Amino acid sequence: MKEKLSKLIENLDYTLLFAVVILCFYGILVLYSSTRIESMGGEPFFYVKRQFLWMILGFLFLTVILFIDYHQIERYSTVIYFGVIVLLAMVIIFGRSTYGARRWLSIGPFDFQPSEFAKIALIIFLADFLSKNKPKLDNFFYYLLPFAYTGLLILLVFMQPDLGTSVVYLAILIIMLFTVGVKIKYLVLTFIAALSSIPVLWLILKEYQKNRLLLFINPNLDPLGGGYNVIQSKIAIGSGGFLGKGLFSGLQSQLKFLPAQHTDFIFSVVGEELGFAGAILLLGLYAIILWRGTRIALEARDLLGTLLATGAVAFLFFHIIVNIGMAMGMLPATGLPLPFLSYGGSFMISNLLAIGILLNVELHKIKW
Amino acid sequence: MKESSTVPEDVKQRLNWVLIFIIICFSVLVISLWYLQMIKGEELSKRAVENCIRSLVEDAPRGNIYDRYGEMLVTNRPAVIVSIIPAEVDNLKELSKRLSKIIGLSEEVIEQKVKKYTDNPFKPVKILDDCRKDKIIEIEERKSELKGVVLEVQPRRNYLYHELAAHSLGHVGEIDKEELQRLGNPKFQGGDIIGKTGLEKYYDDILRGEKGGKEVEVDALGREIALLLHRKPVPGKDLVLTIDRDLQLYGENLLYGKRGSIIVSNPYNGEILALVNRPSFNPNLFVSGISYPDWERLSSDPDYPLTNRSVQGVYAPGSIFKVVTAIAALEEGVTNRKRKVYCSGTFELADQVFTCWKELGHGSLSFVDGIAHSCNIYFYTIGKELGIEGFSKYMHKFGLGEKVGIDLPAEALGTIPSSEWKQREHKQIWFPGDTINLSIGQGYLLLTPLQIHSIICAVTTEGEIYRLHLVKEIISPDGETIKEITPEVYRKVDISTSTFRTVKEGLRATILKGTGWRANVKELSIAGKTGTAQNPQGETHAWFMGFAPYENPEVCITIFIENGGEGGEIAAPIARAMLEKYFNTQK
Ligand SMILES: [Zn+2]
Repeated sequence: MKEKLSKLIENLDYTLLFAVVILCFYGILVLYSSTRIESMGGEPFFYVKRQFLWMILGFLFLTVILFIDYHQIERYSTVIYFGVIVLLAMVIIFGRSTYGARRWLSIGPFDFQPSEFAKIALIIFLADFLSKNKPKLDNFFYYLLPFAYTGLLILLVFMQPDLGTSVVYLAILIIMLFTVGVKIKYLVLTFIAALSSIPVLWLILKEYQKNRLLLFINPNLDPLGGGYNVIQSKIAIGSGGFLGKGLFSGLQSQLKFLPAQHTDFIFSVVGEELGFAGAILLLGLYAIILWRGTRIALEARDLLGTLLATGAVAFLFFHIIVNIGMAMGMLPATGLPLPFLSYGGSFMISNLLAIGILLNVELHKIKW
Repeated sequence: MKESSTVPEDVKQRLNWVLIFIIICFSVLVISLWYLQMIKGEELSKRAVENCIRSLVEDAPRGNIYDRYGEMLVTNRPAVIVSIIPAEVDNLKELSKRLSKIIGLSEEVIEQKVKKYTDNPFKPVKILDDCRKDKIIEIEERKSELKGVVLEVQPRRNYLYHELAAHSLGHVGEIDKEELQRLGNPKFQGGDIIGKTGLEKYYDDILRGEKGGKEVEVDALGREIALLLHRKPVPGKDLVLTIDRDLQLYGENLLYGKRGSIIVSNPYNGEILALVNRPSFNPNLFVSGISYPDWERLSSDPDYPLTNRSVQGVYAPGSIFKVVTAIAALEEGVTNRKRKVYCSGTFELADQVFTCWKELGHGSLSFVDGIAHSCNIYFYTIGKELGIEGFSKYMHKFGLGEKVGIDLPAEALGTIPSSEWKQREHKQIWFPGDTINLSIGQGYLLLTPLQIHSIICAVTTEGEIYRLHLVKEIISPDGETIKEITPEVYRKVDISTSTFRTVKEGLRATILKGTGWRANVKELSIAGKTGTAQNPQGETHAWFMGFAPYENPEVCITIFIENGGEGGEIAAPIARAMLEKYFNTQK
């Protein structure tokens, strides 16, 4: 054990870990700035305190993961997958609802979102499946199997209903499939099939989900709905200029013109209060994480490690791009949070679990 | 130590593509950020500032109106407005449903109103004006279910006695397009409350006060965070009227169910003590915007309750006008107090026959008795000799056909016939018969009750018509006198005192032994003249004008009952009752 610990300490990717820690504190600071006025019960540290506790918990999980060789994970991947399916089904049946959507499960005083943990579960399950079946994937039937596994998860979160999260599952799947080396032809075929199914999807989508997509096309359509958020967010980011208005000084942020500014629109607070410089610093930290993540994937000992790392990178990358793109009005308001910054316990823990996976793969690229 | 990786080369190849994709996406993000923050930054900063600064208008409370003894007649009360802030609504359909159940407005109407909001989703959208108290309590109790619903309090005009003196007080209402254009910015904005009729309109500048305003920094919910600029509203000034509430009320009751007017004033200063118009209306109906059924009912009522008869109505004066004929004839030397005229009941002119109201005739009458008995033949005789030119001269002296200058808007001028007028209006020459009709106040002549009243005022004071007015004093909200309305001679009627005295003798005789006997009271020496005016609308108008006491006049009175019947029978008793009430309260 002692030997293991010293090896662990020796081989840890400190660049990645350091970037994550800085990012976490950056997130706490921005969160404090955006919530100190409006916190429940007038307690300025309400959100920050909770987020900090989740963060500690997340690092605890991360540490535990480090001690388990990722090769052991494969043994449990099926259990994890079906466990998550059960949890998601429970959400639909017993879940606590907010704003017409059931996303939460309560265990004692804690509310958590199984759909967040499902992202990690999906990464593990797909990495295991794909690494074992790489040669068979040339067979179109085998190629379709992972779609079926992911599709089951998508179906379950779609019923919550949560459009954003189901898109994340899909993104993780596609990037992992691409990486494992499936035929480009198949991917193109899938893409065409998806496009042609849009009219069908349109019928399934709930009214508010359709509106979100429509508003993306023209945010001025309805200044109150999702479009309003996007306009206010663009104003906030744009008005930040180069150095920003300073923490606690954003007109838009401090006056709550930004809805969901501590969750989905926290990047607007960064843009307004810390300016271009602050936003670039944030993007830089993300870049370090993604760059290290990709390196870990490239240098992994085996395909399983590569795919685990790729899945983790795909997860974080997709959230970053979609969230920031949305805040700047380039992508539809899908309601995806920003890793390490957005308020939310389950999301924070799943972010740190993804980092745990990366560190683990890096740690075990050599056999101990 | 390091083992070689077993990761296939093609996977590494694909991973490199993934990395390139990530780099491209990040570059796009950085470029977009640069564009948004560095290039469009300034423009968006401006919008950020505009976003959170709101200019709010604070309405000034409108001045109160009191009667001459300080009894409050008009004031303001708080009205609660139910509004919805669109930005705070989670589910509009659900909210409309719940609110609909409480306030009784249909769901669709509520939804439509909210959906029609214009610029700013944080600006409350008015759903229901002047909400009833029980509904307000219910909204307050169920506040948690009604997220987005807000209650605002606004001052609302309150006419304490409803129909009392409604035409004089007038009413307020929201400024309309035409008024906005005429009165103009920046003094007025859409939605402002201004006086529409009556004193509310005439004294609008005094009653209205000055709007205040503030610029506040607000948060996204429209809540004020900081006050940037504040100009306090200047409350409107109060009016003290010349009206005596009790006398007015008494008059209103006397005319209940009738159509007509009562005017009581002090001839020596022009103060109007009562100005009754019936039927009346409740001005409170107008303050929140009159409802369609109410408007329909008032505007299509054949009795015209919205018309201020004493100021805007023009009517044939009938025998009341004989006072003018008498004065003109005396002044012009056509007759004198000793001249007697024989009344056989008829008067012939060329091939036309004119009759006296007393079919069998009055026999031989002196000048004073001619007035007292209101003998038509006497006045035909002297009117014929006077001629239309003589009439024109004296009607002009009394200011007939002109405004009496009362402090109310929209005074009617009446119709004053003359040979030029007839040529112009009817393309006909003036016939001698027209003069005969005019001499007893019939024919083309139409006057407002106020014009009639100014005749009796001139007779009472023997030549001076003081400006008739309703406002005695303008006072500040804390009760200090700002302006006292001083009596002002509006018109000097250039007629000899002896003429006035002779006519007054006739007016006294009218009460004592003539057509006005029903107005006679022992304790009060009333003088006056009755009138029964034929008109194309039907039953005759009943008139009375007079003053009291005869020896030392204090008040002048005019009674007009539209299609009321005989002046002596209908109008004279009302005049007596009114004067008795006045003198009883004076003691
Ligand atoms: Zn006669």
